[in-house]
Amino acid sequence: MGIQKRSLGGWIVLWIIIAIFAVWTIFPIFWAVVTSFKYTGDAYEPTFIPWIQFKPTLQGWHFVFITAGERTLRSLRNSIVIASCSSAIVLLLGALAGYSLARFVFRTWKNKDIAIWILSNRMFPPVAVLIPYFLLMRTLRLLDSPLAIILAHTVLNLPLGVWLMMDFFRDLPRDLEDAAFIDGCSHLGAFFRIALPLAAPGLVAVYVLSFIFSWNEFIFVLVLGFNRAITIPIVIAGALTTKGLEFWKVASMSLIGVIPVVILATFVSKYLVRGLTLGAVKG
Amino acid sequence: MKLKYADHKDVIKWAFLLPCLGYLVLMAIFPLVWSLSLSFTRWLGTIMEKPQWTGLTNFRNILFEDPRFWKALWFTVRFVSLAVTFQLGIGLGMAYLLRNNFRGRSFLRVLFLVPMACPPIAVAFLWKMMLHPDIGVINSALQMVGLPKVRWTTSVLVAPFTIVMVDVWEWTPFMFLALLAAFEALPVELDDAAAIDGASNFQIFRNITIPLIAPVIVTIVLIRVIDAFKLFELVFGITSCGPANATESLSYYVYLTGIKWFDLGKGAAMSWVFLLIVLGISLVLFRFRKTV
Repeated sequence: MGIQKRSLGGWIVLWIIIAIFAVWTIFPIFWAVVTSFKYTGDAYEPTFIPWIQFKPTLQGWHFVFITAGERTLRSLRNSIVIASCSSAIVLLLGALAGYSLARFVFRTWKNKDIAIWILSNRMFPPVAVLIPYFLLMRTLRLLDSPLAIILAHTVLNLPLGVWLMMDFFRDLPRDLEDAAFIDGCSHLGAFFRIALPLAAPGLVAVYVLSFIFSWNEFIFVLVLGFNRAITIPIVIAGALTTKGLEFWKVASMSLIGVIPVVILATFVSKYLVRGLTLGAVKG
Repeated sequence: MKLKYADHKDVIKWAFLLPCLGYLVLMAIFPLVWSLSLSFTRWLGTIMEKPQWTGLTNFRNILFEDPRFWKALWFTVRFVSLAVTFQLGIGLGMAYLLRNNFRGRSFLRVLFLVPMACPPIAVAFLWKMMLHPDIGVINSALQMVGLPKVRWTTSVLVAPFTIVMVDVWEWTPFMFLALLAAFEALPVELDDAAAIDGASNFQIFRNITIPLIAPVIVTIVLIRVIDAFKLFELVFGITSCGPANATESLSYYVYLTGIKWFDLGKGAAMSWVFLLIVLGISLVLFRFRKTV
């Protein structure tokens, strides 16, 4: 706002509000970092400063990577494999369908109806398909297999992929593709050589967002994976229930789940709100 | 050349769209139909080989003989309305205060990504640690300043609000960032013109800003309401639906019935009732969105 200027007092109040909001937002993560370096007894004390207030230790991290290392690494590998595979399928199907809906006119069902129908698949609560998924995967002998979870996560993220790609392709100028046709390029050629490269930032955004949501997903893995196919969220959930109140264990385990996605999210920060609103709000 | 374009068009447009539609039909519609067919049967997975047709018994049982279902529905509805109201209120207020450019804004942007990027189950367990009634850091801090301990997760009265609080922590930044983007997209001239004409800040906010960003508000509220209805991880992690089922969400009850207790028929029926409730609420909000 160009005209109004804040007084000094106004600035101070504003900064106090910002500071409270920022501390409130980051404190749980900060606390997890502190707790992950504490001994069991220290973990229950409200102390913050290592070496001065408490003696730091690596026992939490030692437990996660060495004592329970096999389980941690297995679930990390599963998380990475499942998230990257399902995101790749989302990207492929989403880019194709998004391009189709952005560039062509559908008549029997209008483009908008098809798009809304695809969107509606994101609305239903995941528990609504838990039972059929369980039975389906049991019939296909895919229970406790990463493939089952890849298939499930793809359904969750496909509407996101289609809507965002549709959005990105719409923003691309059509003239370039038309020019390619005049030069004798086929439609497939125009898609692969012109449209896809131009939409590269969108492709990256869709892939990374889909990766984050798949990494974070809990309930399908809880139902479809038992031991072989578990992912990081399941290991986090198991950290507290197994034995007593070992907060350092929970903290370090949770951070393993949190850190990769937070780093990824900063790379696509421009698109996170856009992704969560499926393109409705361009953050 | 034009002819070639037209020739391929119909083939290409369907070839591009069909894989996606096919996948959704196979992995979303077919399971939903399967679950609908199961919902008319009695099938206790642990003791019965095959489902047994019982017509509408499951639905009658859920709607008229199962107070726990109604309790879960009531909790979920209260949770969604409270959480989304707080998220919108705080998010709107903060975005309005911070809509001007100021130093450190991009840093805040990144900071506020953290809660919504985190795995919800990690959020649940991080908060569960901090909220532990005896040894959690929050109660320790309260005691240090002379306030009484709060039984965050073990009191029937407090626990539902604890779940709301954690959800507010997780999703207020989303509302804030979305609304900040909406404020940024507003034309500055309008505010300036109104200010020159002598309109007060509140008048500008009430009569110019709010109507202009109303579509964004309704959209993000719609998205949050739909997503908040799915509440599962926070309940699973923080309270495991206790104390005395005071924090049992619909998703959690469906999960318990269908998967944990393996009552597949009743679980399927309940998931369909749940689905219809979410669908109904979404339709009402969609309607409302069109009128704004």
